[in-house]
Amino acid sequence: MKIKIRDKVYDVEISELEEEKVKIIVNGKEFIFGETVEEREKISAAPLTIPKRSFTKKEIKAPIAGTISKIFIKEGEFVKKDQKILILSSMKMENEIVSDFEGKVKEILVKENQNVKEEETLIVLT
Amino acid sequence: MQNLKTELPKEAKVKMRTKFSSPCKIRNFKILPSTNQKAKELALRGALPWTVIVAEKQTGGYGRKRTAWFSPRGGLYFSIILPRSKIEDLQTLTIISAFIVAKTIKENFSLEPLIKLPNDVLINSRKVCGILTENVIGKEVKSSVIGIGLNTNIEKFPKDLEDSATSLKIELGREVDNKKILEQIVKGLKEQLKTISE
Repeated sequence: MKIKIRDKVYDVEISELEEEKVKIIVNGKEFIFGETVEEREKISAAPLTIPKRSFTKKEIKAPIAGTISKIFIKEGEFVKKDQKILILSSMKMENEIVSDFEGKVKEILVKENQNVKEEETLIVLT
Repeated sequence: MQNLKTELPKEAKVKMRTKFSSPCKIRNFKILPSTNQKAKELALRGALPWTVIVAEKQTGGYGRKRTAWFSPRGGLYFSIILPRSKIEDLQTLTIISAFIVAKTIKENFSLEPLIKLPNDVLINSRKVCGILTENVIGKEVKSSVIGIGLNTNIEKFPKDLEDSATSLKIELGREVDNKKILEQIVKGLKEQLKTISE
């Protein structure tokens, strides 16, 4: 099959070699998934890799880089644990970020449509 | 070179295999506002991975940024609750889904699908499928669902979509079997997602 990335068309073939091994051929170049740690690291070294998420004290940080598409809370509002805080769009996925703790919203550091980096602090609670 | 397989404890391998080989539970609905919305609700209420929500029609189907997805009867609209994946792996999910949809179309029909990365599939430069992955993330990934809207047996699109959308029925001149396509896509996804660790 063919896929298009930024106007460039790639020929791609996927096949299963055996259980837990998948071969993907992109323009004649072979990539085998699930074979070894090294192979796996080669694949995940692509720009798609997302660093691990970390929360610090009552700060909600961006788990991945992306764009804030919607903010559901206001400063001064009390939020509960697991309450929906905002939508972070990344690689055309919609990520609903929920609060991991309860508290009053002290500061909203981002705006809708703003691009954020991974680990960037988005919301501060007290 | 380290061998990944030999590093996995026996119990982990068994657990993973069990998880990925667990049977799908397909829940059919005549009509839903959105299969993704329903899947997210059910996932947070503890529905098992590989529960598939199918609707014959959506009244509020949506894509990214809540743009409406034309979802009349005849099309194939479904969402799959995925096994929890590492945050590092999330972005591959949509791409894998697009591959599977395109592969299913190519293998079943004499059509040449083109994947517009990461989440659309086109035929003859018109969109035939849209994919929306939605994750709920707290301290870790709480749930992931993939919603797929495939224009199968849609005869006609509204004027504003006529130039940008197509369906398998329009391209082939005949109806296709939605149930068979659904089963093939879900099966293909399960096979491919074996490569994503939990």
